[in-house]
Formats: sequence, C-alpha cells, structure tokens
Amino acid sequence: MKCAEVRKFVRLYLDSELDAKQSFEVQQHLELCAECAGLFEAEKKFDQRLGRFLRSADAAPALWKKIEAQIAPAPLAKFKAFWPLALAASLIIATGVAFFTRSRNLDLAKAVEECHSAYVHQITTPEFSGPVPEKIAQQFDGRLDAEAFAYRPSERAFTTSGARLCHVEGVPVALILGHCAETPVSMIVFRKSELDHFPETKRKLESGDPIACSRSGRYQFAARFVDDHVVCIVGDEPRPALEDLLRTVRGADG
Amino acid sequence: MNNQEQHSAAARFLGLLRPIETDLENYSRRMVFDRRDCEDALQNAVLRAFRAFDRYHDDASFRAWMFKILTNEIFAINRKRGRVAEFEVSVEPEEMEEFASLDFAGDVPLSWETLADTLDEELLAALQSLNQSERAVLLMRAIGDLRYREISECLGIPLGSVMGNLSRARQKMRDAILRAQRRESL
Repeated sequence: MKCAEVRKFVRLYLDSELDAKQSFEVQQHLELCAECAGLFEAEKKFDQRLGRFLRSADAAPALWKKIEAQIAPAPLAKFKAFWPLALAASLIIATGVAFFTRSRNLDLAKAVEECHSAYVHQITTPEFSGPVPEKIAQQFDGRLDAEAFAYRPSERAFTTSGARLCHVEGVPVALILGHCAETPVSMIVFRKSELDHFPETKRKLESGDPIACSRSGRYQFAARFVDDHVVCIVGDEPRPALEDLLRTVRGADG
Repeated sequence: MNNQEQHSAAARFLGLLRPIETDLENYSRRMVFDRRDCEDALQNAVLRAFRAFDRYHDDASFRAWMFKILTNEIFAINRKRGRVAEFEVSVEPEEMEEFASLDFAGDVPLSWETLADTLDEELLAALQSLNQSERAVLLMRAIGDLRYREISECLGIPLGSVMGNLSRARQKMRDAILRAQRRESL
C-alpha cells in the first residue's frame, strides 16, 4: 500500500472499520514509513484529547443510584440497615473504578467483555458439550474450525459446563463456558488469522509478549497464541491466576 | 413474570448497565440542548430499556441497544425544546472512500496537545456548533465506541451519512484546535 492510500484509510483503521486485509496492509505500511506513522500518531492523539474532553463532565452517582433503585427497589431497601457496610463497599468500588479506568483496555478485551458479562448474568448459556453439532459447524462459514472448541486448560481448577458459537465484532469464536471454583470464567478461541480485527492485541502479541493482559471492563483478561488460534480467558479472578490458567491451555491433540 | 423472575431480570439488566453508565451519562450531557434535561433523558431511557429487556437478544450489543434507546429519548426531549433533528441524507455509501480521504488530520500541528485550557473552550464552542446529527455521530463514536454500522442502525441513517457526519464533525473539532493554537500564539 502506498502513502496516499494509507492516508485515505488511516482514519478507518483507527476506527477499526477496515477489513482484515486492508487493516494488515495499513499496519505494515505504518511500521515502515516514518512520515505516515507520525501523522497516524497525531490523529491518535487527536482522538485521545477529544475523548478526554468529551468524557470530562462530572459524574452523578446519586442519579444512578436513584435510577437503579427504580429497577430493583426491594434488594436496595433490604440493605438500608447495613448502610455503613454499603458505604465502605462503595468507597472500595469507587477507588477500584478510578484505578481501572486509568488502565487502558485492549481492543479484544473490550470486545469480549459483554460476552462474559452475559454469561455471568446467565443471559448466555452453553449450547452443547462434546463434539460440535453439525448445524453449528455449518455456521462457521470457513472462518472457524471445530478444533477451536476442543481447547481446555489442563488445570483441574477449571470445570466446563459446555460451549457455544458466538460472534465478537463480527468474528466467529468458540465460547467455552466454565468455572474456577465458584467464579464464572469464559474462554474465547478463534483463528489467528482473524486477529487483524483487533490490531492493538495483535501488536501486543506479535511484539514478543507471550501473554497479553488487560482489564475487560470489571473483569480480568489474558490472551495468547496456542497453535493456529488465539485463546483468551476472561473472569473475575486475579490476573496471575488467569495467566497461570491460560498457560495450561492445550488443544485436542496437545 | 413472578417476583423472583423480576429480581433475576433486574440483576441481569443492572449487570449489563453498570459498565456503561458513565458513557451513557457523558453522551447524554453532551447531546441534550438544555443541560437540565440530561437526567430526565437518562432516567426515561433506562426505565424504557428495562421494560423492553425481554425483547433484547443476547447476541446483540447491549451498549448499542442502550445508546439507541437513549438517543431516541434525547431527540424527543430536544424536539420539545424546539430544535428539530437534522438528518439530511447527503452521502451515499459509494462515496465513503471520498469521505475517508477527507478525514485525516495532516493539518493539525503535532504540538497542539500542549495547549492550555483555551483548548477546552474552543472544543466546547465547536461541539455546540455541530448540528444534531453531526453531534450524535461524533459522540456515539468517541464516547460510545460504537461501530459505524451500529451508529447507522441507532440513528436509522445510511452508513455513508454516518461517515459524512463524522468527517464533518471531526473537521470542526480540528479547526477548534487550530483556533486555540492561534489564540495561544498571540
């Protein structure tokens, strides 16, 4: 790709709107061309500064408390007697939120958060356990394989309740649902070739980091390459525990 | 729906809502024409969404679904304030590439991020000068982190219009940066 083309597409690249091939070509060009890379950095800074300005309004926790109380009045009423405890918990949560919002989420971590959140809140449930049913395999559209559903951590702490096919930012993924002790943990597996949809994660994994870690909203996230796949684990577990779990992940023949 | 089911639905709904509350609030504050309407818009939108939660499908993006409901609420409120939505369709999908090429900040000075508070003033003035469609598209992208296709579905406008509005809005914000820099150098 030449400079003129890259400049035409760089805005779409930053917005993650290019297809995998174009995105890869832009990325390759930016690695080689200092001038385009400089302009790309300027545009990225523009996004960051604009984002900071647009998000700078004062938050109104009291408003959200009022709104949430209208949705779940009974449970909130129950906790009235425990207000000192609730206050302490709120402070801990607020400190946590302030800390976590400072650390930037990787694009893939951000994309899979909803998937895991839906599992935690029992909106998403497993579709099958054991071999991939034929009618699901037909939906792979040549972009996923049954092997993706066979990855499991060898660690005994992880128990799986089944799997389902999902789409994350349009990418078909194997979603393997399980628990570590009582904590829900999601494992997301997809083909390495689809990683172009998540350029930040791709850069991190290809820069030599064996494991890419990040927050995924309120959860922890870790990802790494295993054979021809990208394997991610998301859960409300300490980051080192997730990393350890991820290191033990093997495919069907591993 | 019995009591237990209601509590379970509320817990699921709140579990999805909480991670995006701040984004919804920032979006609402920047979108309403009158700041006093922000809280009403949020409250009405969240309650409306909860009432319709049984129609939400888990394979769709909850974030995009909530932004759509909130946007409809804000437009209704803004309309009452006497401002009409401006969704003129001016760009066709095949013109997307042309707009993509306009949307690049080659003319923004590299040193601009060192500008002082004057920049926020200029950015605020530029934001207020955007028409409703430009503002909605810019905020949905910058705060909501929505994809172009999701914005197009939220607003019921073609993808080309999303790109056109986004391009114009960003250009106006970049112009604000240049103005702030000129003011600083005076």
